[in-house]
Amino acid sequence: MREEALKRALVWLGAAGTLLFCLGPIVYMVLIALAQSPDFPGPGRGFEPTLKHLAAVALRPSLHFWDYLGNSLIVSAASAGLCLLVAAPAAFALSRLDLPGRLVILFAILAVSMFPPVSLVSLLFKMMTALGWINTYPALVLPYVAWVLPLSLWILASYFGQIPRDLDRAALIDGCSSWQILRRVIVPLAGPGLFSTGLLAFIFAFNEFLLALMLTTDHQARTIPVGAALFQGLHGQTPWGEIMAFACLAVLPAIGLTVAFQRRVIHGLTRGAVRG
Amino acid sequence: MRAHSARELAGAYVYLLPVLAFVLVFILAPVLGAFRASLFQDVTFLPRKFIGLDNYLRLAETPVFWTSLRFTCLFVLISVPLEIVLGLLVALVLDQPLPFRAALRASVLIPWAVPAAVSGRIWELIYDYNLGLANALLGWLHLGQGPVNWLGSGWGAFFSLVLADAWKTTPFVALILLAGLAAVPDELHRQGEVDGASFVQRFFRLTLPLLRPILVVALLFRTIDALRVFDLIFVLTGGGPGGATTSLSLYGANFFLAGDFGFGSAVSVVLFLLALGLALVYVRAGRFREGLG
Repeated sequence: MREEALKRALVWLGAAGTLLFCLGPIVYMVLIALAQSPDFPGPGRGFEPTLKHLAAVALRPSLHFWDYLGNSLIVSAASAGLCLLVAAPAAFALSRLDLPGRLVILFAILAVSMFPPVSLVSLLFKMMTALGWINTYPALVLPYVAWVLPLSLWILASYFGQIPRDLDRAALIDGCSSWQILRRVIVPLAGPGLFSTGLLAFIFAFNEFLLALMLTTDHQARTIPVGAALFQGLHGQTPWGEIMAFACLAVLPAIGLTVAFQRRVIHGLTRGAVRG
Repeated sequence: MRAHSARELAGAYVYLLPVLAFVLVFILAPVLGAFRASLFQDVTFLPRKFIGLDNYLRLAETPVFWTSLRFTCLFVLISVPLEIVLGLLVALVLDQPLPFRAALRASVLIPWAVPAAVSGRIWELIYDYNLGLANALLGWLHLGQGPVNWLGSGWGAFFSLVLADAWKTTPFVALILLAGLAAVPDELHRQGEVDGASFVQRFFRLTLPLLRPILVVALLFRTIDALRVFDLIFVLTGGGPGGATTSLSLYGANFFLAGDFGFGSAVSVVLFLLALGLALVYVRAGRFREGLG
């Protein structure tokens, strides 16, 4: 049994290490946001709590925090919603109707998701410039939908595939068209799958940086990641307290959603990767 | 549903049309456009001019390009295996019956949910020479001779990036592998115990071979992702010091941001071909479809 004891010790050590590694930087971010001075871990200094950094980020209009957050939430929600609207019928067709070449289509779409974003971004910039959409929501939402579609299709097709086909057949006998089967049978039964997929699309859009950097110019459409990356002080010294306060408030939606719906997120993620 | 009329089959393809339209307009057309643009001299405010392969020839003569190609490959070669091994360890821990398992899984997800551009700022402060946690830790533990300028040297910046990237992406790997572990039947483990195999032996003889297909999937996803690394580098090192950590994505994007679309496109085409090549290698070498199916 010495071996069992050793194993248990290793597991506990691993759990503690994992927790420290994953949460350490997050705790540090929160502490800096709440500290008078960002160098409190250094020698001879102590932690003096203050809310002034959080208050500055929340209340100073020149920092545009609420603009960035609003933009991020709108863009992410719109991307997730549109993505589901486009992906659900396609996933239905690919998983339920015996289409010739369905595997080829699925793999071709998966291959497309492997393209490096930097190879698309210059033409997207030109496209959005030509349309006059630079610094607007559609300039971000439409490409985000396209980028997150492949993964969504895979996840949804796998969820749809689990719904018993007898239900379709019954509906077919009742005289339903395939569109009605999708709306009345599949979508109500695949609620959790649709929710997981939408959540992943939301988080993807919330985190995206390169395109948001290239296609937005100011607080009218700029999203949280770009706001965080470009947050600089006016007077030479980096305002770390405020940057960390910004980061704290900014990541709250993503962390909140993820923790609240962790089982759905994990389900979606592993569906996309494991079973296809 | 077998009894399809031709009309219904056509209807089925209609369901696919919106997806195809999105992919065509916002992914395929821009990529093909980048191929085309790479054959032009295309700088803002100057007339466009067809110059054939000149951008690529100029690229081959630019030392910074080779530095950035080397950096990108090294980053993939070092960060991906590290993340897979760390992710496997975390997955093995999470797979154990621990009292606070759900809370543990939730906290593992947090780094994944934080935008890389935001976590990049946290790591920027951690590595800060005067204020950062990294040097404060060295001070507490009385390690080394005084503070370290983490981002000041090429290798320092490289490994600082690898660590920050591992923090962000290990959870993803761990969760995928965890799903794979959950699929390993318990009876196999009990059988192993009866045979007197230690848990280390059981891991290498039973678990690891069964995880192989899912490991290949994780490896593929991570490689593709690491190859295009951008956000973290943009925020944390800006590609420095002296261009030592400029990934191909950052190198290309810098040209776009400066308005040089032709040359930047040539860079992005090189990265595209690299990603394509790697994906093909994986699909052929690994049991990729087995992992998905």
